[in-house]
Amino acid sequence: MSIAHHPGEELLLSYASGAANEAVALLVASHLALCRQCRLVVASSEAAGGSLLEDIPPVAMSAQAYQSVLSRLDEPAAAIVRSAHLDSSVPAPLRAYIGNDIDGIAWRPIVSGLAHYPLVTRDGVRARLIRAEPGAGVAPHTHRGEEWTLVLTGSFSDVTGRYGPGDVQTTTPDIEHQPTADPGPACINLAVTDAPLVFRGFLPKLVGKMFGF
Amino acid sequence: MTLPSVDRLNAAICAIAATRDRAAFQIVFDHFAPRVKSYLVRLGASAPLAEDLAQEALLTVWRKAALFDPARASASTWIFTIARNLRIDAIRRERRPDLDPNDPSLQPEAERDAGDSLDWGKAEDRLRTALAALPKEQAEIISLSFLAEKPHSAIAAELGLPLGTVKSRIRLAMARLRLALGDSP
Repeated sequence: MSIAHHPGEELLLSYASGAANEAVALLVASHLALCRQCRLVVASSEAAGGSLLEDIPPVAMSAQAYQSVLSRLDEPAAAIVRSAHLDSSVPAPLRAYIGNDIDGIAWRPIVSGLAHYPLVTRDGVRARLIRAEPGAGVAPHTHRGEEWTLVLTGSFSDVTGRYGPGDVQTTTPDIEHQPTADPGPACINLAVTDAPLVFRGFLPKLVGKMFGF
Repeated sequence: MTLPSVDRLNAAICAIAATRDRAAFQIVFDHFAPRVKSYLVRLGASAPLAEDLAQEALLTVWRKAALFDPARASASTWIFTIARNLRIDAIRRERRPDLDPNDPSLQPEAERDAGDSLDWGKAEDRLRTALAALPKEQAEIISLSFLAEKPHSAIAAELGLPLGTVKSRIRLAMARLRLALGDSP
């Protein structure tokens, strides 16, 4: 898998710092499962977090804090679960939401060739899966906010280029695009939007409203 | 009182993993619990909640010490990630989509990651130096990213800067930090 499009470093930093909400974190973590380069960026950001923790002026714990923790050291703890090696095209962080089998998803049709599956919404930021048959796509639209799209299978193209498995497309409000699935296997991607899309035309507007885009 | 060195704290966590060493745990507790508490207060937790979560974080250190790998992260970085995740879970009540760095399904394979990874223990020393040497306007944004938990748009508004400037400062800072780590992606 050769990944050409990565999330912006500010997105990776907000994941490492914990500022990113669950919907954004799901997209970043799923990309990280596929991209060693970005794993290193996040590891360096976390090291910066460690360094800030080291240098922060300490705040005294209560007098009985240590005794209180000591008294709990022998409590039985949940076993440490290590991820099993699974032959799955679903990145590990996404498995908690959809299981291991991407073919088993209960897709909700939108229009011919296009379906979606909502995952999680936090603070108005929506994460969903979108499945597009070759040639199908999302009607021309711009954005009120940012949109990040991680390709899981297949590929799609728009005016900005071609996006394949592992790639993350970042769009900003000024971009108008009409992403369309390329020939080949269906294009399944994880799309995260922080504001509704702005469609051109009456019908796409109506469909967009109905399906919460 | 002199602070325990990075090596001593790393070794203490390894001793907890190997022999359930309570003396080692006290060193780690005394050093990190007040820092974790401070971090949580900085991010808006009340003092009693920060106290509870700091205790919980150190209990997690005891329980998960076997997962600590000083070749991957220093004690402070590992404990930062524990505190960050506990906070997301307890205060935001959200699930944290996370990665187990040892997950063999990571692509490219995790085994290869480990084989050619740098020595993070040493690399983090260089990173600390680089962080301290960042231009003030870059250091400020990195620090706010961790200790204010605001979206970068809010940081931009607070500093009276365009969002693009905040993002480019982040990129410049991250490039310097990566350079310090000796990582060439």
